[in-house]
Amino acid sequence: MSIFTYNGGAIIAMSGKNCIGIASDTRLGIQFQTVACDFQKVFKMSSKLFLGLAGLATDVQTLEKLLQFRMNLYELREERPMSPKAFAELLSNVLYEKRFGSYFVEPIVAGLNDDGSPFLVNMDCIGAPCLAKDYVVAGTATANMHGMCETLWKEGMESEELFETLSQALLASVDRDAISGWGAVVHIVTKDGVMTRELKARQD
Amino acid sequence: MTSYMSTMATLKATNGTSALPIHTTEGTATLPVTLSSSSRKDDSIDHGVTQNPYQRAFSPYEFNGGTTLAISGPDYAVVAADTRLSAGFEILSRDVTKLHALTDKCVLASAGCKTDVDQLRSVLDIRQKVYAHNHRKPMSTPAVAQLLSNTLYYKRFFPYYAFNVLAGVDMEGRGAVYSYDAIGSYERTPFSASGSGQSFLIPLMDNVISHKNRCDEKKELGWEEVVEIVKDAFVTAGERDIYTGDAVEIKVITKDGINNIHFPLKQD
Repeated sequence: MSIFTYNGGAIIAMSGKNCIGIASDTRLGIQFQTVACDFQKVFKMSSKLFLGLAGLATDVQTLEKLLQFRMNLYELREERPMSPKAFAELLSNVLYEKRFGSYFVEPIVAGLNDDGSPFLVNMDCIGAPCLAKDYVVAGTATANMHGMCETLWKEGMESEELFETLSQALLASVDRDAISGWGAVVHIVTKDGVMTRELKARQD
Repeated sequence: MTSYMSTMATLKATNGTSALPIHTTEGTATLPVTLSSSSRKDDSIDHGVTQNPYQRAFSPYEFNGGTTLAISGPDYAVVAADTRLSAGFEILSRDVTKLHALTDKCVLASAGCKTDVDQLRSVLDIRQKVYAHNHRKPMSTPAVAQLLSNTLYYKRFFPYYAFNVLAGVDMEGRGAVYSYDAIGSYERTPFSASGSGQSFLIPLMDNVISHKNRCDEKKELGWEEVVEIVKDAFVTAGERDIYTGDAVEIKVITKDGINNIHFPLKQD
């Protein structure tokens, strides 16, 4: 078993019309044994910026704290909020510092730029970024998620339709993966704020 | 091949240790070589292989790529497969069929190793002819399903590298889809996807055909709608799977016969 599949997990982020959605499952497992069904993998860094971390759970939690710390330092020094683009660059550099002994995570940065347009990036474990205009996925069920998102995504979805699409894509994907699932949470971010919903999912 | 001079150059390049790399389609092996006459004292019949063993590997299997999908309905079955034949990162052909009508009521779709698929089809055709001769009627779809399972299990210890999906209409005229593993374990299912793009298609089918995780009312789909879903699914698989693309061949099977549809995909 690979180190990236040790704890399991699945994250999708999608873009809509001046909004983004980011969703993850909430399982924490140790190989095939499920240990928790309320494990957070998507973190709110600011009202317009979310970070999703899939991979080894200890690195998920460590990186979240580390990035929150770095972001706070930035905002103290710069006296302005950190843009998603700058945050993604920071994350990329933090990961590359550990080039020969990396964090075992696949991060997703999802946010809204100052002009309201969506910003989506996913990276590998050493920080190579991949910008996307439609959707990004990370975790153990990526083939399933790509199949769902590629088919269901369309341009210009408003927040309610984006929520439905994102939820269906995530649920169908994790139901065919043994080490993801056990609950799901979806965040939809618009210029007016964040709406968080928990999905009723199969508990197996 | 190599000349004396290039061999000497290669030997020197490996710091004078006696090894000559040879490159084959199965990979690289290093042969023990000494060009001096001191090899006379080591004149055993195995040419010194026991002293310097090396391993060659030949795999009888090769994956030729492709994705197949079959969906059953109340009075029809839809089966589809892409038409690309690949080996490694190369495309060998853009126009090879993976679908084979065994009777006029059932079609076999197989992805995997092309040579095994072709041989399996030949064997099934012959066994089906024998059945039709002895029973004086063509095989029904559940009978073909069992025949395929038995044929695969005959080769339990050197399997056919074929991922099969059988689609057709059963004796009551209802659509039937059977999915198989390489050694003949099979099950009748509402839909089945196999091959390199199966992970992209199966969750989509769960959501759209089996209506899982959905709160809206399930409505019965006609074959035309299912064909549109199949086309969308293959566009997705073609985008995200390197072994799937070029075109999709779709067959719609009803009690009245088989209807063929051809749909082009991206050729990249």
